[in-house]
Amino acid sequence: MRKEGVKQTSSMNDRIFSRAKRNDRLAAWLINIGGLLVIFAVIWILVLIMKVALPLFLEPKAGVVASFTLTGVAPAAEIVGIGTDDNLQTGFVLDDSGTFSVFDNRSGKVMETLPVAPPGGGRQSVASVAEAPGRRYDILWKDGSFTALKVDFPGAEDRDGGDANTLLITTLLEEVRTASHPLPLRSLARIPEGKNPLRVNLLEGNRFSLAKKTVSEDLAGNETSRTVRSEFGGDLPGTVSSVALDGKGEFLYAGTDTGHLLRWDLTDPESPQLTDTVKVSEEGHPVTALNLVLGDVSVAVGDRAGSFSTWFPASETGLGSGKTLTRIHPLAKHGSAVEAVLPSQRSKTLFSLDKSGSINVDHMTSERRLLTFSTGKPLTHHGVSGRENGVIAVDRDKRVTLWSIDNPHPEISLKTLFGAVWYEGYDKPAFVWQSSSASDDFEPKLSLTPLIFGTLKGTLYAMIFAVPLALLGAIYTSQFMRPRLKNYVKPAIEIMAAVPSVVIGFLAGLWLAPLVDKAIVPFFVAVAVIPLVVVMAIFLWQKFGSTRLFKRMAKGYEFLFLIPALLLGVYVSHALGVMLESVLFAGDFKLWLFDVLGTRFDQRNSIIIAFALGLAVIPLIFTMAEDALSNVPKNLSAASLAIGASRWQTAWRVVLPSALPGIFSAVMIGFGRAIGETMIVLMATGNTPIMDWSIFNGFRTLSANIAVEIPEAPVFGTLYRVLFLSAVLLFIFTFIINTVAEVLRQKFRKKYGRF
Amino acid sequence: MGSFWKQGEPQVWGTAAALSVTLLMVLVLVGVVMVNGLGFFWPSDTALVALTDGSKLLGQVSATEKATHAHGKRLQFKVGNRDLYGQDFRWVEERDIRTISWPHDSVVLERKENGNFHGFLKSVSLEGLAAPAAASPWETLRGALKEVSGLRNTLAETGQVMADMSSETEQLRLKILKLSHSGATANRGEISRLTSRREKLLAQFDVLLERFNESSEALEKPAAVFTDAAGEEKDIPLNAIVRAYRPNTMGVFAKASFYAGKVRELLLDEPRESNTEGGLFPAIFGTVMMVLLMSVFSLPFGVVAAVYLREYAREGLIVRIVRIAVNNLAGVPSIVYGVFGLGFFVYGIGGGIDRLFYPERLPTPTFGTGGILWASLTLAILTVPVVIVSTEEGLASVPKGLREGSLSLGATKFQTLKNVVLPMATPGIMTGLILAMARAAGEVAPLMLVGVVKLAPTLPLDGTFPFFHVDRKFMHLGFHIYDVGFQSPNVEAAKPMVFVTTLLLLAIVIAASSLAIHMRNKMKKRYATKAF
Repeated sequence: MRKEGVKQTSSMNDRIFSRAKRNDRLAAWLINIGGLLVIFAVIWILVLIMKVALPLFLEPKAGVVASFTLTGVAPAAEIVGIGTDDNLQTGFVLDDSGTFSVFDNRSGKVMETLPVAPPGGGRQSVASVAEAPGRRYDILWKDGSFTALKVDFPGAEDRDGGDANTLLITTLLEEVRTASHPLPLRSLARIPEGKNPLRVNLLEGNRFSLAKKTVSEDLAGNETSRTVRSEFGGDLPGTVSSVALDGKGEFLYAGTDTGHLLRWDLTDPESPQLTDTVKVSEEGHPVTALNLVLGDVSVAVGDRAGSFSTWFPASETGLGSGKTLTRIHPLAKHGSAVEAVLPSQRSKTLFSLDKSGSINVDHMTSERRLLTFSTGKPLTHHGVSGRENGVIAVDRDKRVTLWSIDNPHPEISLKTLFGAVWYEGYDKPAFVWQSSSASDDFEPKLSLTPLIFGTLKGTLYAMIFAVPLALLGAIYTSQFMRPRLKNYVKPAIEIMAAVPSVVIGFLAGLWLAPLVDKAIVPFFVAVAVIPLVVVMAIFLWQKFGSTRLFKRMAKGYEFLFLIPALLLGVYVSHALGVMLESVLFAGDFKLWLFDVLGTRFDQRNSIIIAFALGLAVIPLIFTMAEDALSNVPKNLSAASLAIGASRWQTAWRVVLPSALPGIFSAVMIGFGRAIGETMIVLMATGNTPIMDWSIFNGFRTLSANIAVEIPEAPVFGTLYRVLFLSAVLLFIFTFIINTVAEVLRQKFRKKYGRF
Repeated sequence: MGSFWKQGEPQVWGTAAALSVTLLMVLVLVGVVMVNGLGFFWPSDTALVALTDGSKLLGQVSATEKATHAHGKRLQFKVGNRDLYGQDFRWVEERDIRTISWPHDSVVLERKENGNFHGFLKSVSLEGLAAPAAASPWETLRGALKEVSGLRNTLAETGQVMADMSSETEQLRLKILKLSHSGATANRGEISRLTSRREKLLAQFDVLLERFNESSEALEKPAAVFTDAAGEEKDIPLNAIVRAYRPNTMGVFAKASFYAGKVRELLLDEPRESNTEGGLFPAIFGTVMMVLLMSVFSLPFGVVAAVYLREYAREGLIVRIVRIAVNNLAGVPSIVYGVFGLGFFVYGIGGGIDRLFYPERLPTPTFGTGGILWASLTLAILTVPVVIVSTEEGLASVPKGLREGSLSLGATKFQTLKNVVLPMATPGIMTGLILAMARAAGEVAPLMLVGVVKLAPTLPLDGTFPFFHVDRKFMHLGFHIYDVGFQSPNVEAAKPMVFVTTLLLLAIVIAASSLAIHMRNKMKKRYATKAF
């Protein structure tokens, strides 16, 4: 019986043991995983935000969707224009008999032929065609009559209903040439919605004729319309080889066979002014292709040697006046003469076709060559879908090829993100952050440089303010203060580290900023006066308070004795500052600053940030530096004091050098915190992304920029990804700083063997 | 003198000065918040000021400063009556003041809209009320206001019933949507049943709505006529009045009880006037909810990681890397966590949940937008390092002898950990948790990206299934400060409220971290004596 019992217990014990052991192993396994999960988490965060940012730098993708020979078009007809709808379902060609042939993009089967009736009647063939934005075609017939029309795919707009394969041709303007007018060589029209049409003709002998309908209203409200006509041009360098007109019909551009680019201002239709004549080709190659980039500011120019560049008026002096056409963005060179340039209707991307028959896709702002398309045979005409997602082209044998394009972020390159870029309307390359605007044809300016600059500026000013205060305070607290007092002071400052940054930001923005704004001169006086008052207080103390009793009493309490001195300093500088302001700056320093030094004064400026951000990092630096100083073994300082060094000599020459790595690591941690601080800079600066070291200006930091812009950024759009990229930058900045700090601290700990 | 310099006494004083400056700044920060935040609710007396140009104003002195030109002072009065004057505050030069009196019958009204009204009571119209007319208009007003507030509460109850109803119909709508999404023909019977139930509910709702509208219209009828300082009459419906008082007749005790009432309102009531008046209850509730939910995620993970570092890992390269990783987690800017939370939790996981479980509601997101769950998870990652560091300190302070004792008695490592080490390290863990909570309560930047809103219509916790709605957006004290202080149209009028919020947040955070630091210091001491 008894033996059995023992056996039972031992088997039960075995069970317990094995269970305990199993639990132990399981726990060890889980805990090890938990530990490694921390590393994983850090890497995972970095990988994830990088993954979102990375597509910015991917090359655009393109693929052939379909390729076929058009059989439904008359063999004799020559194709003069081609296009496709936004869903890449249906395409069309315009041939020289003025007929649109609509075909299915997959099979190439022609489904419809839609002839355009020439206004002059009868059968006419097309003399020239110009494509304008929005699938508009200006057709000049051989007899000199003119048709402006628009092509739409009404079915393609709504995805569910409607036949996607119908083409709607809307005639916008029809004009018959009267016999008194000469036969135009080329003709362009602009028909703004609800406004008066304008037509420009290129005539023989470098002459242009302009016709603009104007409607005037008299007092009774009767409308009278008349057509203003004028002729201009004539004596020009070379012969006009290409022309382009901007969207509003305000500027006419012409290129000549001597390599000149001319620009006329047509705002007064009665007397157009020739404003610019510039040589675009140094070697005198004829200008073969000319078109305006989306937004109508820049003009893209291609010549017979294949050079391709964009131009817009900029003033050389930078004074805003006397603007002349200037070469802004040289784009990648073509192998042969540039024949035609089509702008995208979404971005500043340009699709240019050259004589050898290949199509190049370039982005103007980033100057990136995005893609090149060619087939075996040289292509003669090309068209771009409205959503910039496809290119269609045709060669001499009527073989049509359709490419689809996936090109989500053409405007991004390392240069546009970090370098100076010459944006439209600027007089020189600049670092600009301006992510959005009211109009669609806006050129996004996504330079991270001003933001990085702002981040560094804020951090630097804050550190200049915070590091001396925090480190000196830490030295005093750890070396000279009475230990009993230290037990109160140190936790008090540690608690300050927990003060939410939104609280500091609020006080800085709504309390301190108006205060400093009102008392800016007293503030500067205080910077000089307060140290002076402190030095004087020390002298006075030395002179009168240096009896033994006083000295002993003050030892370890010096900072308390100085508080009245500081308050006195504040009072004196206020009084003095008000006086100085009225004497030196006629009572208004800000006005003086602007008038004399030309510096703008923002209420929320870098001084405020230095204070607020400084206050946020002081507790951090203070606590860690104090720990480092306190952890220096006591025997070192005891030995120093024993051989007769004073308490300052001990602290400065013995304790401080030993604790240096720890102190350095404390400063680094503070630096890291200041770089990433968001709420304070968001609330206490004006968030203007300017690059200026002035202490009277605000700035915008990477972190505040994310907070401001990300709620508005469309998911997975360019701005969204650029903001993720700035988060990656912040992560990497702080990662390096923290890693250096941590390695230093580990070394320091090893040295003194303390936790 | 020379030895004075050589010995470095001035330098010591210099370091002392640095500390004094720091402490002074801290005191100023706390002082400014306290003075501005505490004073806001105190009903100060209203002065009737007659100016030399013959005009009059009635208001509370809110600030004084030196006059710019003359030698006198400038006084700022809070004159209220935003709807009449356009501005709440007015600056007056002292020399322009002819007389100042403190009339007993001056009335201050807190209104639902347009801020305070300062003036005098003229008459009360008791249309549709049971309260009798008392001896003085003021007594009549008080009685009538009491009755109106009772009626308002009844109305609010009806409103609550209606809100429940409409949320039920919304649930039904979503259910119907789900059913028809998964197959309209297969679930036809169920759909028609639910539809008829929904329609019945809607009909009931309409009946209630009509009753509700009638009563609320009736509530608008009783009104009182007031005059402002200049004698201009103003008709104010009693329903628009939140509180009416005569500060000049109130004693210290009456003022103190008024103050207590305002504090109660602050803590328990809903905000009014786009958050610049009224209470902070939803913001306090949202903050607490979010912090608690965050603790559920960050505590276990932080403790496990700390136990790994202290008890299981062998000192070596991996541990060094883990420590660097922990420090990096602590040092990465909080906005980066917000960006991560937005990309990973909201659009990644949340979008995935939506596609899997709520495809019928798309493109309206359910989990694929900011919410309290995603905010808590984001802040959990942010605060894990705090828990790790603090728990490690706690574990380190457990004497080696105790561990060895337990192991020598035959306990396994895990048993030792569970029964000996962790209980003794509890103060360290608690410290870490409290510090993490304090950090989370004050953090705003990441929350702005992952689910905080200026005004949430519903709390994340309520009486409808599943009670705790982790997908809802929420309000937060810190964001409240940013939003009211920097995004509201009338910043000057909103400032006092922001100071109150700041004071509250600061008090919570400082109290929590003082407790944590106190616990940590105590813990250090306890084992410091035992270890040797």
